[in-house]
Amino acid sequence: MLQISTDPPLTLIGAPAALTSSRALIVADVHLGKSATFRAKGLPVPEGDNEHDLGRLLECIARTGASRLVVAGDLIHAPAGKTTATLSAIESFLEACRIPVTLVLGNHDRNSGALPRDWNLEIVPALDLDGWHIVHDPADAPENRPSIAGHWHPAIRIPDGKRTSLRLPCFWLRGKNLVLPSFGSFTGGQVVTPLEGHRVFTVLRDQVVELPQALWRP
Amino acid sequence: MRKSTQSAEALLSPYFEAKGWHAFDFQRDTWQAHAEGRSGLLHAPTGQGKTLAVFLGPLADRLHRESLDPKCPAACEVLWLTPLRALAQDTLRALREPIEHLAPHLAVEARTGDTSSAQRAKLRKKLPWCLVTTPESLSLLLTHADFRDQIVGLKTVIVDEWHELLGTKRGVQTELCLARLRAWHPDLRVWGLSATLGNLDEAREALLGLAFPGSSTISADLNKELVIETLIPAEIERFPWAGHLGTRLVEPVAKAIESADTTLLFTNTRSQTELWFQELLEARPAWKDDLAMHHGSLDREERELVEQRLRDGTLRCVVCTSSLDLGVDFSPVDQVIQVGSPKGVARLAQRAGRSGHQPGKTSRVLCVPTHAFELIEFSAAREALARGEIESRTPVSKPLDVLVQHLVTCIIGASIKPSDLRQEIQTSHAYRDLDDEEWEWALAFITTGGQALKSYPQYHKARLENDHLKLDDKKLIQQHRLSIGTITGDRSISVQFLGGKRLGTIEESFITRLKPGSQFIFGGRHLELVRFHKQTASVRKATRSLRGHVPIWNGGKMPLSNELSHAISRSLHDTGPPSAERLALQPILSIQQSRSGLPSDDTLLIEFTRTREGEHLFFYPLAGRLVHEGLGSLVAWRLGKYPGESIHITQNDYGFCLTARRGLSLDPRRLSEAFDSNNLLDDLLSCMNTAELARRQFREIARVAGLIVPDFPGSKAPKRDLQTSTSLLFEVFQRYDSGNLLLLQSQREILSKQFEINRLGEVLTSISKRAMRLIETDRLTPLAFPLWADRLSATLPAGDANSRLEAMLTLLNRETDPSSQVNH
Repeated sequence: MLQISTDPPLTLIGAPAALTSSRALIVADVHLGKSATFRAKGLPVPEGDNEHDLGRLLECIARTGASRLVVAGDLIHAPAGKTTATLSAIESFLEACRIPVTLVLGNHDRNSGALPRDWNLEIVPALDLDGWHIVHDPADAPENRPSIAGHWHPAIRIPDGKRTSLRLPCFWLRGKNLVLPSFGSFTGGQVVTPLEGHRVFTVLRDQVVELPQALWRP
Repeated sequence: MRKSTQSAEALLSPYFEAKGWHAFDFQRDTWQAHAEGRSGLLHAPTGQGKTLAVFLGPLADRLHRESLDPKCPAACEVLWLTPLRALAQDTLRALREPIEHLAPHLAVEARTGDTSSAQRAKLRKKLPWCLVTTPESLSLLLTHADFRDQIVGLKTVIVDEWHELLGTKRGVQTELCLARLRAWHPDLRVWGLSATLGNLDEAREALLGLAFPGSSTISADLNKELVIETLIPAEIERFPWAGHLGTRLVEPVAKAIESADTTLLFTNTRSQTELWFQELLEARPAWKDDLAMHHGSLDREERELVEQRLRDGTLRCVVCTSSLDLGVDFSPVDQVIQVGSPKGVARLAQRAGRSGHQPGKTSRVLCVPTHAFELIEFSAAREALARGEIESRTPVSKPLDVLVQHLVTCIIGASIKPSDLRQEIQTSHAYRDLDDEEWEWALAFITTGGQALKSYPQYHKARLENDHLKLDDKKLIQQHRLSIGTITGDRSISVQFLGGKRLGTIEESFITRLKPGSQFIFGGRHLELVRFHKQTASVRKATRSLRGHVPIWNGGKMPLSNELSHAISRSLHDTGPPSAERLALQPILSIQQSRSGLPSDDTLLIEFTRTREGEHLFFYPLAGRLVHEGLGSLVAWRLGKYPGESIHITQNDYGFCLTARRGLSLDPRRLSEAFDSNNLLDDLLSCMNTAELARRQFREIARVAGLIVPDFPGSKAPKRDLQTSTSLLFEVFQRYDSGNLLLLQSQREILSKQFEINRLGEVLTSISKRAMRLIETDRLTPLAFPLWADRLSATLPAGDANSRLEAMLTLLNRETDPSSQVNH
């Protein structure tokens, strides 16, 4: 857990996720049903990602004592992955977590079509919470207000050695906008190039640590 | 059905008479064997008329049948497989020449990845009498349901440059395609052409599979004369002991080029090629228009232009890499120069054979050392060649990624009973001992996903219907066709000018190290990177004249072969009359002997030296750099863990060096324990970053096995839902299906590719029997120096990402936090 000196305050946790002052847990880019999408298209990828990721989410809620859960977009990967198994896994999760859950729609959610109406799930295009504006795409984040987004799956490349580098999923604080790393275990990262004055955090053995600028802007 | 060769020769004689040639014995032997319905392997140095030997047999057969029945139907009777699509055009030229003389009504056409879609469509309708193609294109043809009917008259398959395919997954792909064709045509004749190898019998067995009793190996033993000369530096004392660029000899090399009409100058890496091109141009600016460069990353058009000018004899010199090693006949070439280590005996002979390409002419190669010890490598190679000690190429054994790809290929073409398919596949050499578990796994992988109870839900690709395997989903078929092919490397980035002109390709790992504005040399041009976006590096001509980075590509790490290593050891200890190279090197060998000793095959020389950096142990097993890399990690790991001290490892073809600030010593007991040949695999897996390496290897495997959706040609947007990286897939498999045989395969492949695990095992066993010679030296010896000088070069850092990151953060804290320095 790492409290970052933002206004309003925010705590980053290794899940990876963010926790607001009222203990709302925010994650982004879960991409449930991704391996199912691959299988449906004739690519033999083993299952297990849904169960694993929803399990991690439950565990994280229990550990942080979160009061509500906000998914900042891309809960579901694609229409082909929205199988009965995927849907029932989400349904059981919603029952088991016992806190209100809000989905801020992401591009993948929009493409995947409507979700069952009887679900205990609030669906919104954007959300204002504890002083933060939460959207999926950082491009839609307002410039002058604190915001949290996902979508980019940011990762940072850190050279260590002459020809080798580490590539780490990261939290990327760019001015007033924080971009969360993707939560899903079958999601990749996209290498980003932060600018002077930005801040970058990563998860090291379950702990969030800040990466000094010297590491990523040598 | 024995036919007399008399008739073959008689039928072919008009061509030989017109050319004023006489057939060689080996050509007659091959025609005879072919006429008798036999298959075989023909080996000969390049430029020996072996094309005519294997090609005219089938032609004579056809002419014979036509003489009996003038209405003999036109059909595709011959398939000619070439390993490189770039060779297809040359092959066409070579095959069409005798056809024009003897049977102008017969067609020879090519179908490769370079063939235009119009030509492909034409070939889809009707195949020529002889089709020239590649293993990938043949696989692709097998997916078309009517292909079997189109080749119903197939009589002969010829595999050119089989030694190039042998030992690769493409070779295995070829074996599988041949198994399919043999199942269709039990009387099929298969002929392979190969350069000289140490294991010709095995090469023949791999090509012909288990179905060819009575096959023959024919040698074109024409005693082709081969002269290996070395450019000996004038002042050996001032010649570098280390390094690999060696441009110090540019002036004498330029003079040698002046003395010949056309020179091929071979280097070992593409970066060396760029550098020598620059240096030669600087030494002889007037050669601007007669000096060219050729390597695999240059654009095809540019390469073809160079090849054409070579054929025409309008170039003075081409600086090249192994891209010009193969097949192509450049008759005007009258001199070959090899810069740097030959690495292997066969390789040097092959390159030398590029000159004096015609039968009966002498092949010559002038060897140019880049550092002093390469002198001995050249003389050792000459001697090994004289003794006939040539490297072997070990065929790849049952790679499962290639198998699952081929299974899908077969069932797209026709639905098949699994048991029949297995039987057919097991006639190939590569899969002759495929076991039940592997077969069941492969079947499951293309039908249900996981094995037995762990099948993957909702997965569908192939299905079992009435005991037959089927795949008829159009999209999946299209997807599979696009992914056929087994060669993958680092992702290639297209290099082009801002205006759009394409210059060639460069590896992603290189370009990502450059920043916009950085300069580099590519294709002989000074360029400046403008931007790198979506698989394209846009560049402009560098405005400032600056010696840029020379691009460093992968692929320059070929190790010294076993045969050459042994020959070197022998040359070092030879008591007979010394070669010119050995004489020249003597002053340096004397220094080595006075400070320490010479390494050899029967003792293990270990030196211990202290320098300002700490303590060094130098080991000289003479086993090639890959083995030394593995041995270095193993020995460092076994010598123990000194708290707070890390051991750095460097290696080259002669040995390896361990460096630590303290804690190393010449303790005989500990050293011999470190070379224990027991527990090799377990210890190697524990000490190396094998997980990271296996993850990289998985990239190739995932593509071959069809786990990655290829981009459709022409469609800009990749299929977003199915976008992933192979390294992510690797993690997903590890987490959710850790017993998947593809994961085991990637580990196995990385061990053999990265460390030559079998050779490493043999070396370790032999070392544990050797006596150790332990010497403490107060100064670095000539052999130690290059290993010491290389100490800053990075190999893959040990440890997982977490520990690497922790180490960096700790270091950074120490540097920036003054209190931590006080407390130290």
